[in-house]
Amino acid sequence: MNKRTKGDLVLDVSVYVFLLLLGLMMLLPLANVFSKAVSAEWAITSGKVGIFPVDFQLDTMTEVISSSTFIRAFAVSVGVTLVGTLISILMTALTAYPLSKGNLPGMPFIMVLFIFTMLFSGGLIPNYLLMRQLHLIDNLWVLILPGMISVFNMLVIKSYYESLPEALEESARIDGAKTYTILFRIILPLSMPVIATIALFYAVGYWNDYFGPMIYINDTAKKTLQLYLQDVVMNASSANVLNKSIDDLMNMSPEGVRAATVVASTVPILFVYPFLQKYFIKGVLIGSVKG
Amino acid sequence: MKNRRWLALLLGTGLVLAAAGCGSSGNNGANGNNSSGGEATKAPAKTEAPATKEPESDTKPELRVLNLWSKDDYNTHPLAKVIEERTGYKVNYEMLPADKAMDKLNLLISSAEAYDVISIAGDKAIYTDYAKMGALVDLGPLIEEYGDNIKASISEDSFEAMKVDGKIYSIPNRSSEFAGYNLMIRTDWLEKLDLQMPTTLDEFTAVLKAFQDKDPGGTGGKGAPMSIDGALATVANITGAFGIATGWSDQGGKLVATAQNPGFKEYLTYMADLYKQGLIDKEFAVNKDATLKEKFTSGQIGVIQLPWFDIPTVADALNKNFPEAKFAYLPALKGKDGKMGIGMSGGYDRITFIPKSAKHPEDAIKWINAKLEPETFKLISLGEEGKHYTYSDGVYSPILPIFTDERGLASSYLTGIDEVNYPIYWQARVKKDERLFAGFSYLNREIPAEGRVADPLAFAPSLPEYAKNNASLNQMINDFAVKVIVGEESPDAVTEFAAKFDAAGGAASAKEINEWYAGTKK
Repeated sequence: MNKRTKGDLVLDVSVYVFLLLLGLMMLLPLANVFSKAVSAEWAITSGKVGIFPVDFQLDTMTEVISSSTFIRAFAVSVGVTLVGTLISILMTALTAYPLSKGNLPGMPFIMVLFIFTMLFSGGLIPNYLLMRQLHLIDNLWVLILPGMISVFNMLVIKSYYESLPEALEESARIDGAKTYTILFRIILPLSMPVIATIALFYAVGYWNDYFGPMIYINDTAKKTLQLYLQDVVMNASSANVLNKSIDDLMNMSPEGVRAATVVASTVPILFVYPFLQKYFIKGVLIGSVKG
Repeated sequence: MKNRRWLALLLGTGLVLAAAGCGSSGNNGANGNNSSGGEATKAPAKTEAPATKEPESDTKPELRVLNLWSKDDYNTHPLAKVIEERTGYKVNYEMLPADKAMDKLNLLISSAEAYDVISIAGDKAIYTDYAKMGALVDLGPLIEEYGDNIKASISEDSFEAMKVDGKIYSIPNRSSEFAGYNLMIRTDWLEKLDLQMPTTLDEFTAVLKAFQDKDPGGTGGKGAPMSIDGALATVANITGAFGIATGWSDQGGKLVATAQNPGFKEYLTYMADLYKQGLIDKEFAVNKDATLKEKFTSGQIGVIQLPWFDIPTVADALNKNFPEAKFAYLPALKGKDGKMGIGMSGGYDRITFIPKSAKHPEDAIKWINAKLEPETFKLISLGEEGKHYTYSDGVYSPILPIFTDERGLASSYLTGIDEVNYPIYWQARVKKDERLFAGFSYLNREIPAEGRVADPLAFAPSLPEYAKNNASLNQMINDFAVKVIVGEESPDAVTEFAAKFDAAGGAASAKEINEWYAGTKK
């Protein structure tokens, strides 16, 4: 019964080939940007840079990384990501716990309130005005507080909690544990796979967010890295070039600098993946099956 | 069961509410705009009162200034300090994002953010909108009272161009008028074939043919004698030979759009013919700026259109690939009836205004005025003699690299310019690179004056119809030109196209433009 037939083999090979090609397709544009970041500008202009760098140099990279604006934006992003992820994951895990107890009074109603926010929102200008009334414009907390709990992530954690055997809690209760002890000593440690996954979602979300900062942050000193990146890259887009004065055109960053900025702001978050990967795969699976 | 009913009820109410919200959202939106505009207009009544009482005290408030995006932080750039020392005002600079800058500005203006000074690119349409909405402070009285340097620096013409309903709401930076784009030719290919630099359109065609037949670049048929950017199908210099060097040209005292110009059909016929003979890159329609440079610097193309500010990048790349390669601008090519010309650009590259939500409108004007004091202005735009620049024979030359480091961004800090001296100061900027300067001075000095055609609309006042339609009309012309050149439409279709052009706003623009143009001729 376990014997592999020829058909299985053919299927396996074609699956591998397909996935390999798909993987390469994702990787090639990235490789191109990385190569541009470390190639000489003349090679980029004449279109000689493909997957591999031409006339390798690190000056562009050094120039980008050592610029004070970049360093400051980097620090802001790291801060927002760390603090934001910590608060978000804590609040999400705490919110999900009571909601996973469907038998508590009023829970379905509260649940509906949460779901409601997934479907409807106030729109951009009302949100902006609200943030202004709350004195959150130009305050870094505006990047964390309004989106602190993602309902979707909360639901994933909630369904994970629900999948844990109820007997665990009951036996803890018999041993005299109170609600918080149960949550922090029993439930959360058991939920590490899903917590790690959601933490990664949050971290990547905070790191990559450019829209929030673009709308709510005006102060140059508080701009995040993604906003800086967005500016550097979009500044050269053809739609924005049309309106430029001659001086702005003369001051434009060459393509190599743009590529180097992309690399410098993408690589840090890439490093997080390998460390969380084992949880990542597990967690996503669990969440999705039960969801 | 019970739960479900709850859920259904709540979602139901939610949907009804949302639907109600959507149904009236059109009205709400309009009301929202009005009320925010109203707020903006009301706001100053509140803020101006204390501001007018205050000036007794000598303490200068910190100003909040909003600028266009720049890759360096305005606050930490050396110029911020220079300006603070000279004007006595501490300034907190903020900048708009590089992308969708005007959307963000709309958000800031409609929520009445308290900026004291806002500078934007020379987009008169946006400025006019704000002025009409009542979101801007009327600068006339303020300039009268505090703006001696402003009055001395900015010409009456420029103020006239900024007027909205007879009032001045902004201070413009008038940019010098110059030719930016021209055709670049590989002169080493010419030398190899023993050809002279072409001076007429016919000679130019002959050169292209020679490039094709004798392949001086050894491209082996991979390249083409000439290539153009698919988004710039009305090519500089060649258009001049047909009398359509600028988007609107004077035809017997009236301004006529390219689409209606008899030269347009001739131009298209000529270009379509070049294309048919294979003298223009077969793939030009999909060329972007980067692809064009790529093809030229990898030696596949003999002639491209290149603005002078791109010369250093292209020269670096080309000479790295072909150390013996040389290139130069073509002179203004003469058409069959002697027409020629390279279109010039000009206009206003920055517009500075004070929103009604400003907390210190008077100090803002004083600050702008102080920056235009002649010595201060020179210090901001050029720096110190001997440190940032040298001066001899009426020419300012930059000292590198300190000039680029400390004054490279100067144009972004300027709120109004000394219209007499700035064009002279400004050329120091072009001298940052010898090749850049050579290209610039060839186009703007060596080519005889009749080879340059000024844009008649450069310094026109705000023309709402024209501003509204200009971008889409230009796009129409470009799309049509590409279609004809690749042979998809015949040049005879121009008449039909001109009618479409008129219907799409061309006629309204022409009417508005000529009403103004007739007035300037008196």
